Amino acid sequence: MFFGKLKKAHGKVIINPNWCKGCGYCVKYCPTDVLEMSKGYNAKGYHPPQVKAAADCRDCKFCELICPEFAIYVTSDKEEEQASASA
Amino acid sequence: MTRRTGVFVCHCGTNIAATVDVKKVAAELGQDEGVVFSNDYVYMCSDPGQQSVINAIKDHDLDSVVISCCSPTLHEKTFRDTSAAGGMNPFQCEIANIREQCAWVHKDKAKATPKAIKITRAAVKRVRRNESLTPIGVPVTRKVMVIGGGIAGIQSALDLANAGFEVVLVEKQATIGGHMIQLSETFPTLDCSQCILSPKMVEVSKNPRITLMTSSEVKSVSGFVGNFKVKVHSKAPFVDPEKCKLCDDCTPVCPVVVPNEYDLNLTGRRAIFIPYAQAIPASYTLDEEACLGLNPVVCGKCKEVCEAGAIDYDVKPKVTEYEIGAIVAATGFDLYDKGYLAEYGRGKYPDVLDGLQFERLCSASGPTGGQVLRPSDQKEPKNVVFIQCSGSRDPENHCAYCSKICCMYTAKHATLYQHKVHDGQAYVFYIDIRSGGKGYEEFVQRSMERDEVIYLRGRVSKVYPSKGKLKVMGVDTLSGKNVEIDADMVVLAQAMVPSKGTAEAAKTLKIGRDKDGFLAEAHPKLRPVESVTGGIFLAGAAQGPKDIPETVCQASAAVSKVIQLLSKPELEHSPTVAKVRDSHCTGCEMCVDACPFEAITLVNGKAHVNEVLCEGCGTCAGTCVRAAIDVKNVTQLQIHEMISACMGG
Ligand SMILES: Cc1cc2nc3c(=O)[nH]c(=O)nc-3n(C[C@H](O)[C@H](O)[C@H](O)COP(=O)(O)OP(=O)(O)OC[C@H]3O[C@@H](n4cnc5c(N)ncnc54)[C@H](O)[C@@H]3O)c2cc1C
Ligand code: SF4
Ligand code: SF4
Repeated sequence: MFFGKLKKAHGKVIINPNWCKGCGYCVKYCPTDVLEMSKGYNAKGYHPPQVKAAADCRDCKFCELICPEFAIYVTSDKEEEQASASA
Repeated sequence: MTRRTGVFVCHCGTNIAATVDVKKVAAELGQDEGVVFSNDYVYMCSDPGQQSVINAIKDHDLDSVVISCCSPTLHEKTFRDTSAAGGMNPFQCEIANIREQCAWVHKDKAKATPKAIKITRAAVKRVRRNESLTPIGVPVTRKVMVIGGGIAGIQSALDLANAGFEVVLVEKQATIGGHMIQLSETFPTLDCSQCILSPKMVEVSKNPRITLMTSSEVKSVSGFVGNFKVKVHSKAPFVDPEKCKLCDDCTPVCPVVVPNEYDLNLTGRRAIFIPYAQAIPASYTLDEEACLGLNPVVCGKCKEVCEAGAIDYDVKPKVTEYEIGAIVAATGFDLYDKGYLAEYGRGKYPDVLDGLQFERLCSASGPTGGQVLRPSDQKEPKNVVFIQCSGSRDPENHCAYCSKICCMYTAKHATLYQHKVHDGQAYVFYIDIRSGGKGYEEFVQRSMERDEVIYLRGRVSKVYPSKGKLKVMGVDTLSGKNVEIDADMVVLAQAMVPSKGTAEAAKTLKIGRDKDGFLAEAHPKLRPVESVTGGIFLAGAAQGPKDIPETVCQASAAVSKVIQLLSKPELEHSPTVAKVRDSHCTGCEMCVDACPFEAITLVNGKAHVNEVLCEGCGTCAGTCVRAAIDVKNVTQLQIHEMISACMGG
């Protein structure tokens, strides 16, 4: 992809590890496979998710919708950030 | 059993006579039991040759003949027709192949002659027990399937529809057009490819006799010439072409960008997209794999904005079954993978392009609006090196054959470049220029003389990036000097190879491919548009490298063969089919499983052959442990006697 100015949508995933109960829904249902379960423990003794492929987030916010504990959310990138993410 | 057999030995010019003593064959066979006449002639298939067979049948009251000549594939039909003209049942004529199976594979006349005698004698033994048969009449379906929607498939479909036939055109991609729609201008006249192709594509979509199935593939074919049953799988049409208004409201909201294959990955596209403005069917398409999941909770942005209500994530793929009389396979070509070309960077350098990418750069509807720019920095290249025969004519490492069209399209590319970049210089490395064709040589000469393209005769050994340029290391064999060029861009004229879809289609259609993977024709000279399977015809670059005029010729030729076939009210099916001896059959069903054409079923506990489906291959006869099933005129007794004739003496 060398020509044209199409930009992919891009979001930033923000995780609040201590609210997580380790259900793994976000990891399983992310359509672009951005997340994985971490090896570490949170305060409740669960493995919270972590971001493994930040560039692949297409800002669909499905993780935000599906998380039973409100432990994950996404912020949409600004125009210029999108440009650098799609390069 | 007394028979009156005639034996006719052909010289085939010197093809047979140089290695086989044909007179001796005729004389010896004349002594055999039941042979009442034998002779030899220089060309048995010529008019006087055939007439001599007819005369002998009448004069000597022959009831069977053996023609000792070339292969039955070539002339069995000829001589069966000749026999019928002499008043004999055509199935009392057999061919002894003493050319391919004897003369051509031997040098020693003293040994080849007795072998030819044995081959002929075996045929005499066989024909003694031949039954007189009548061909089986089969009704035909007057509907044709064309597979592949490139220029070959488009031309075939239009010609057929204009001749009054119903056509189903099956194309794998979302739009028809094939590679031709990707081209900018076409040699040798430099007329715009899209301008000559788009109207034909529209014609296809408007023709009431053509059913267009895009994003579809043939998954299974059963039946036989005149009566095929074809199953076509179509991807789910998430965008309804009837409703899509081409407003382009959906693409800006789609969050996904993937490489655009129609621009050879030079640009990107959304998960919902239209391949080209001129796409047929004229509709956007949703790429299931790139989409975030066809789930309105996850994304659904396109559906939200589509005012026409054309998008539906819940439609399912479908399978359609057609009854078809004949099939034209026009599945086209691909370029030889750059990944195999280690010396030119295996496709890793962005400014080493393939021919089709260069076409897109030159095209007014391409990524740059027709300006030649480097992919890496989008600057105008001032030195461009074109390398012909990239992967062609290199039997040791790549394809052995000549791809035939690259000399011409390279001359076109170099010319277009010189027209677009006035202060630029195009260099062409070539092995030799093959420009046979009307106006082709003149075109190449013009590119050298008027447009001042520099032609260098020799190979390029290596291309590598160096200081923002591409270093091209080659040799000019005419001056004997090594040449080094600091190029801004390199364009490879890669070999044309059969498309991936061609291999798949050949497998489904059960038709042969040649050593390079192109679809194999029934005879390289006399039957170039027929496959060996009855009712399946070939058109376009799937059969071998060719340019547009040749592709169009071949498509129309294939159509004329289809029309010949389907204009008869009934087709004749060979009566040399399997026959069951009920008294011996125990109903074990081994033959039912063995038959590749599913022609055998069990009826009242006995094997029953559907004669129309039976191809007479003999697999059942070889399988049956009770010798209860035999193919007419190739019975086990006949085979046994033929073997005895070959072994004895
Ligand atoms: C760089 C380049 C430049 C060229 N320039 C010129 C030129 O200037 N002048 C000229 O005369 N020729 C030119 N040609 C040659 C021209 O492109 C071909 O002659 C022509 O495209 C061949 O048409 P086709 O229909 O046989 O094959 P294709 O164009 O390859 O079409 C085949 C179609 O079949 C479809 N398909 C494949 N498999 C299946 C399947 N299993 N089921 C359903 N559909 C299937 C494909 O998707 C495709 O749409 C050029 C070629 C190249 C590579
Ligand atoms: S649903 Fe799919 S095609 Fe539609 S906008 Fe979202 S990702 Fe793109
Ligand atoms: S057509 Fe020309 S470039 Fe292509 S293989 Fe033949 S000689 Fe080489």
